[in-house]
Amino acid sequence: MAEDLNWAVGGEAGDGIDSTGKIFAQALARAGRHVFTSKDFASRIRGGYTAYKIRTSVDKVQSVVDRLDILVALTQRTIDENLDELHEGSAIIYDGERSWEAEIPDEMTAVDVPLKSLAEEAGGAIMRNIVALGAACEITGFDVEYLDEALEKRFGGKGSKIVENNKEAARAGQEYVQENYDLDHLGYNIDTTDNDYVLLNGNEAVGMGALAAGCRFYAGYPITPATSIMEYLTERIEDYGGHVVQAEDELSAINMSLGAARAGARSMTATSGAGIDLMTETFGLVATSETPLVIADVQRSGPSTGMPTKQEQGDLNMALYGGHGEVPRFVVAPTSITECFWKTVEAFNLAEKYQTPVFLVSDLAMSVTEQTFPPEAFDMDEVEIDRGKLVDEDEVDEWLDAQGHFRAHAVTEDGVSPRAIPGTTDAAHMSTGLEHDELGRRTEEEDERVHQVDKRYRKVETARNEEDWDYREFGDSDADNLVISWGSNEGALVEALDYLEADGIDVRVISVPYIFPRPDLTEEIEAADQTIVVENNATGQFADVIEHDVLTRVKRINKYTGVRFKADELADDITEKLTEEVPA
Amino acid sequence: MSSDVRFTDFKSDKQPTWCPGCGDFGTMNGMMKALANTGNDPDNTFVVAGIGCSGKIGTYMHSYALHGVHGRALPVGTGVKMARPDIEVMVAGGDGDGYSIGAGHFVHAVRRNVDMTYCVMDNRIYGLTKGQASPTSRSDFETSTTPEGPKQPPVNPLALALASGASFIAQSFSSDAMRHAEIVQEAIEHDGFGFVNIFSPCVTFNDVDTYDYFRDNLVDLQEDEDHDPNDYEAAKEVILDSDKEYQGVMYQNENSVPYHEQHGVTEDMSEIPDGAPEDAMDLVREFY
Ligand SMILES: Cc1ncc(C[n+]2csc(CCOP(=O)(O)OP(=O)(O)O)c2C)c(N)n1
Ligand code: SF4
Repeated sequence: MAEDLNWAVGGEAGDGIDSTGKIFAQALARAGRHVFTSKDFASRIRGGYTAYKIRTSVDKVQSVVDRLDILVALTQRTIDENLDELHEGSAIIYDGERSWEAEIPDEMTAVDVPLKSLAEEAGGAIMRNIVALGAACEITGFDVEYLDEALEKRFGGKGSKIVENNKEAARAGQEYVQENYDLDHLGYNIDTTDNDYVLLNGNEAVGMGALAAGCRFYAGYPITPATSIMEYLTERIEDYGGHVVQAEDELSAINMSLGAARAGARSMTATSGAGIDLMTETFGLVATSETPLVIADVQRSGPSTGMPTKQEQGDLNMALYGGHGEVPRFVVAPTSITECFWKTVEAFNLAEKYQTPVFLVSDLAMSVTEQTFPPEAFDMDEVEIDRGKLVDEDEVDEWLDAQGHFRAHAVTEDGVSPRAIPGTTDAAHMSTGLEHDELGRRTEEEDERVHQVDKRYRKVETARNEEDWDYREFGDSDADNLVISWGSNEGALVEALDYLEADGIDVRVISVPYIFPRPDLTEEIEAADQTIVVENNATGQFADVIEHDVLTRVKRINKYTGVRFKADELADDITEKLTEEVPA
Repeated sequence: MSSDVRFTDFKSDKQPTWCPGCGDFGTMNGMMKALANTGNDPDNTFVVAGIGCSGKIGTYMHSYALHGVHGRALPVGTGVKMARPDIEVMVAGGDGDGYSIGAGHFVHAVRRNVDMTYCVMDNRIYGLTKGQASPTSRSDFETSTTPEGPKQPPVNPLALALASGASFIAQSFSSDAMRHAEIVQEAIEHDGFGFVNIFSPCVTFNDVDTYDYFRDNLVDLQEDEDHDPNDYEAAKEVILDSDKEYQGVMYQNENSVPYHEQHGVTEDMSEIPDGAPEDAMDLVREFY
């Protein structure tokens, strides 16, 4: 492993913490370094502690760790909150001229920089964070020119004067440290490479996947942490002839998306927590009317309003079982930011191929985390579109009954019926949430009911056979210890392997992106001595379904503090679990 | 095809299960006539229906249609129209469906001014659930859930629409077949959200707001030469007049621009490329 650097900026919400962090992350990405970011934020706009953390290395990084090397602290609370991650070699940049007197443990390097006055000299107090970034470059020996590039990208649209002022502010911070401290870069060596990485978060990847997959309509209602999908699409979807509607609530959002889908558009809605509950009634309609729709749930801490800005993977049961009655659905859960892109594309294809709602379940940690990738990770040439049994005018005849009615819910061997969109001649038909016959007309006839229920579930069987419900695998495939995970835990788990290996513990990691249908893990679990399921919830919802599938008890690591797993912490947890007795 | 479309082309061969004499028969016939008269055919028409006796209308009509969940028909219609500005969208439901569980959507569909026609079959009662008070029931109307009457004033849907910024507000009576069809036709022809509240008597559960009652009390605005639907103040006056029942077009904003036009949506969203769009790599490069 190459040396990595852990950096953070923290202060009050409203202090521009997010953009400061993002600029530094971009500068690092420009320098060909890998970046992985995480955010601490409270559910308020002004006031309240907030931080943006960056881990960077020339190697791929995909997790946070319990260590902070450089901290830009705009408040004392920033220091207090991170005390347990700071170490003897840490440096803390702060502004001693401000009204708070920083209490910094003696063993750490306190770097007092007059951020505000230097920023004012450069053109405005607002740039004090940029002064701090300049100082950070100097402390770590990172070439400030990469920061210049990030500033150009960030402020280029606002005119050259603003860009110049910001560059000057960065230089002022850099020079101040040079002149007043003798730190010799604290021993850091910020290597750069020729790589050109892109830096994006999970929600952006979902939005990008949606556009690539041909999504043209999106309706949503703002809710943390799903809103940024809507914001992403709002800015871009019109370039592709699409439209985003901010609906009056989630009930409306899912119904609008359903309407657009029935009209033939690839359509999507996204929400979180409470919003998913509101969508549940219509979810059943989407399934019984056999409408292709992608519903993204970016999970956050529940229940009720829970901890709206905190991480959790608590909605799996909802995605699997939510809704009255019994309806088939697909549940796909990306395990990384690139998977957010690819699984979104796949979700649209599954939805249309099987005319079924698809839950795309992601989580807060993934949605806000920015990570670097080579652009080829999102190779658009690889995107394939499958619209399923969409019939055109010429094919309609095949699907008419003796009276000339279009059999929109025809009972077929594979469970998938023909689909005609409005405007298709002679295929006008109705669909309903009531139980219906092949023509879509209400029925309570016993056989018809059974035929339709069976037909809808047969789609799942067909999909089980036709699609790859694979998993991703890491570590030692022959190891006796098996760790299973879903969602965004993958990154931390993969890095935990390094720590475990160093301690001589061999582990096979299976990361599962499909919740329903899901891969059958019986063989893998039977081959292992011990199986642990890792998830960000209190009860072990995924562990429950695995136990149910395999009829074996598994061990569980559950974290429900509202904070994602960290690689080093997870390694310790796994080590500890492995020594615990197997549950009876 | 459209030139020789007859209103019966919009009829499905499913026999309605409405009670004999239900106002919904006349309501539906008028809607079908209006669709045919405006040059639509079943293949380019989408009917969205709510839940209730009224909501069954989608079953008895022939067109592309969705019979959804209670109160949510308007958002579905919005989605259809946005995806397909080329398709004629008609939304239908009851007073409970539209003004109770769906009231929030009503306000927002009105203010969005999506180019669709909304026909509310107002029988001032919950029919399908067998006779409970609806939002338009009179305050002293005794029902199974309000034995002494709801004791709250009824919703005035026309006023609600006006206050929400409606661009077209009308009312009709299902039994006055010709006028009803004409009024719905005007709503279809309107560029924007065409809202028609239709008196559609429930002969089983409402013995107050009956055919006779409407026949005796209905004032047709067409016969009032002074009523100019483009005059907002005049519209306000008839809409807020609680002493009379009116039919006709109360209000129409001549400058109405439908939502999809305001937002520059013109394309058929069902057309997408076989793979990612040509310049999709730009989406990635943006993150450099
Ligand atoms: C969420 C939900 N709540 C309640 C019902 C039961 N329900 C069905 S129809 C109806 C009332 C319909 O009244 P109205 O819209 O006035 O239509 P009408 O039957 O009078 O035409 C109700 C409450 C339902 N289907 N869904
Ligand atoms: S109950 Fe009333 S509204 Fe329903 S069908 Fe009968 S008459 Fe019509």
